[in-house]
Amino acid sequence: MIPPLDLVPLPAVLPLAVAAAMLTAAHFLPARVPDAVAMLTALAVAAIAAVLAADSAQSGMLVYWFGGWTPRPGVVLGIGFGVDSASAGIAAFIGLLFAATIVFAWGYFDEVHAHFHVLMLLFLGAMEGFCLTRDLFNLFVWFEVMSVAAFALTAYHLERPSLVGALNFTVTNSLASFMMLAGIGLIYARVGALDFQALSTAVARQGADPVTIGAFCLLAAALMIKAAIVPFHFWLSDAHAVAPSPVCVIFSGAMVAVGLFALAKLAFWVFAGSAEARFLVRDCFMALGGTTAILGALMAWGQRHLKRMLAFSTIAHLGIMLAGVAALSSTGLAGLFVYIVGHGLVKGSLFMLAGVLLATRASIDELELRGLGRGLGPAGIAMTVAGLLLGGAPWGVLDAGMRLIGAAARGGTGVAVEAAIVFAAALTGGAVLRATGRIFLGLGSKPDPAEVEVPTEAEQKEADRPLWLMMTPCVALLVLALLPGHLAAKAGLAAAAGFGHEGLASAAGITAVKLSEAPPIAATLLAIAIAAFDLARDRLPPLLYRSTDRAAGPLFRGLGVLHSGLVGDYVAWICLGLGGFALALAFG
Amino acid sequence: MSVLPWLVAAWLFAIGVYGIVTSRNFIHLIGCLSVCQSSTYVLLLSIGYRWGGVVPVFYDQPVGTPAVDPVVQALVLTDIVVGATIAALLLAMVIQVGRKDDTLDPQRLRPLVREGRR
Repeated sequence: MIPPLDLVPLPAVLPLAVAAAMLTAAHFLPARVPDAVAMLTALAVAAIAAVLAADSAQSGMLVYWFGGWTPRPGVVLGIGFGVDSASAGIAAFIGLLFAATIVFAWGYFDEVHAHFHVLMLLFLGAMEGFCLTRDLFNLFVWFEVMSVAAFALTAYHLERPSLVGALNFTVTNSLASFMMLAGIGLIYARVGALDFQALSTAVARQGADPVTIGAFCLLAAALMIKAAIVPFHFWLSDAHAVAPSPVCVIFSGAMVAVGLFALAKLAFWVFAGSAEARFLVRDCFMALGGTTAILGALMAWGQRHLKRMLAFSTIAHLGIMLAGVAALSSTGLAGLFVYIVGHGLVKGSLFMLAGVLLATRASIDELELRGLGRGLGPAGIAMTVAGLLLGGAPWGVLDAGMRLIGAAARGGTGVAVEAAIVFAAALTGGAVLRATGRIFLGLGSKPDPAEVEVPTEAEQKEADRPLWLMMTPCVALLVLALLPGHLAAKAGLAAAAGFGHEGLASAAGITAVKLSEAPPIAATLLAIAIAAFDLARDRLPPLLYRSTDRAAGPLFRGLGVLHSGLVGDYVAWICLGLGGFALALAFG
Repeated sequence: MSVLPWLVAAWLFAIGVYGIVTSRNFIHLIGCLSVCQSSTYVLLLSIGYRWGGVVPVFYDQPVGTPAVDPVVQALVLTDIVVGATIAALLLAMVIQVGRKDDTLDPQRLRPLVREGRR
């Protein structure tokens, strides 16, 4: 039996090693071998991370110093991985999601020499390292490897829309990495350390300091660009709309959410001792989270391109997760962990369903697909379940996360953010249910032939992949999402208690909030009502829907103008967001 | 430490961002992105610089000689590698765009801008 400490580097090292070997041997490998090897690697990573999670839950954080560079008194030169049960749990979930995605993509990328699998393994290794590291510069390196793999995967098809979407993604996220590096430079200039624990001690000792808080602003903004928080969110819908569906599963299910996970590490661990950073997190980020949830939900509801709709729905749910971080309580933190897993499972299966529609019906436009889903019964049932879960139906993991975050937000700032959470859940769930009703039941009005032409990516898929092969991983994810929520909540609360360095909970002044008992059934009912209203437009009195159209029309047109698709605009918004942080600090 | 390198870094970042925001050509835009990145080089090197310090190689130096900080130099090296990767990837994508289209103007290459409502 290998001692668990020796397993710590494996989740990051194993995929990288397999990727390198696969790239060397790609020319000789028979057709299906890369699929099998990649899937087994992802499963192995998930298993190792699960072992680490179980072990660290009992014995506290496992710290592994690469090359034996253990710290001497007062000096930390080495680079370490620090594994607590939260990090390892998220890492295990990522491995599982990759395994499911590779099964979903079985035989999808035939033509090239396993390049897709090499990129996916690189992506997996980087994400594992990103979750497990406890060194700020190492975090940047994993951030960068993760980004490069993601850029290449987005542009994989080399069609015009995917290239332009990938360019927007690359430019904004590269800017994020530069901001992150500048932040690392600033904090290093002040305290001369990069290890999370050493940084945390130094920041707490230092007190108020403009350079330190400037570093926090830059680091937080960089991670929020990755996590697509308003006003840094614009790249996400462009990239998700054009990336291949299996890649979208990973993007929405894991990549963006681990950005917030890293932000939680900064807020709860590294900068826990800085009063300004805590002010920024609790007041500004809470408001940003609520805004993101509302804006993302409105945009999602207004889309007819299914993948874009799901992309905006991801933005809305990221806003909810940010509220969990911003509550700065162990309940909110537990909510974040549970929500990352629950949302990843549900959104992953939804993107797989979009991929199924694209593969079997050759369209991604909700109106064009009206009634075409007949004959795809299992997909329709799965999409209904996923839509209900997204809308806050009181079953499973996502619901547990939503309740925890709702309780934490109520303890932090009152009901406004909690109302935003219910609104976002209802609207994003309603949008999915509306699409389900239209596609699989043929409900809703007939599309006007003049406007059926919707710009869609030229994504070719092999229609000959069997339906059961695509549906199996999708259903598996949904089954996992339906595991009992109270167990997930319990695990999340335990992980939150052991998050970061020991004794953290008291140091940061974290207070536990009582868990809400009332099931958020209101959100689900609202979601069903929204979907029904949209699908029954023809049968409603014209006065009713005309008045809602008149009220909502300008709002949606305005939002559409803001999402211009121009990378220059996106970068201007990023600068505006940074300026907003500075203003909040100056006048807050 | 002099304040000048900090100002240079801030200036480089600002003009880089200005270039990206106003760019009408993707190759120009990638150049501006590299300018932004140069600001991080300047910032990091200035942070690690010590007046009168030697190169951080202690083979033929007595212990205790003041030296510039080798950690930030390692960071800058990593950063350069990252920058080269990103620039290469971006330029490769732009070449592919150029093959499919006769324009490299971001304004004419918008992805999926037309919004459809319901």
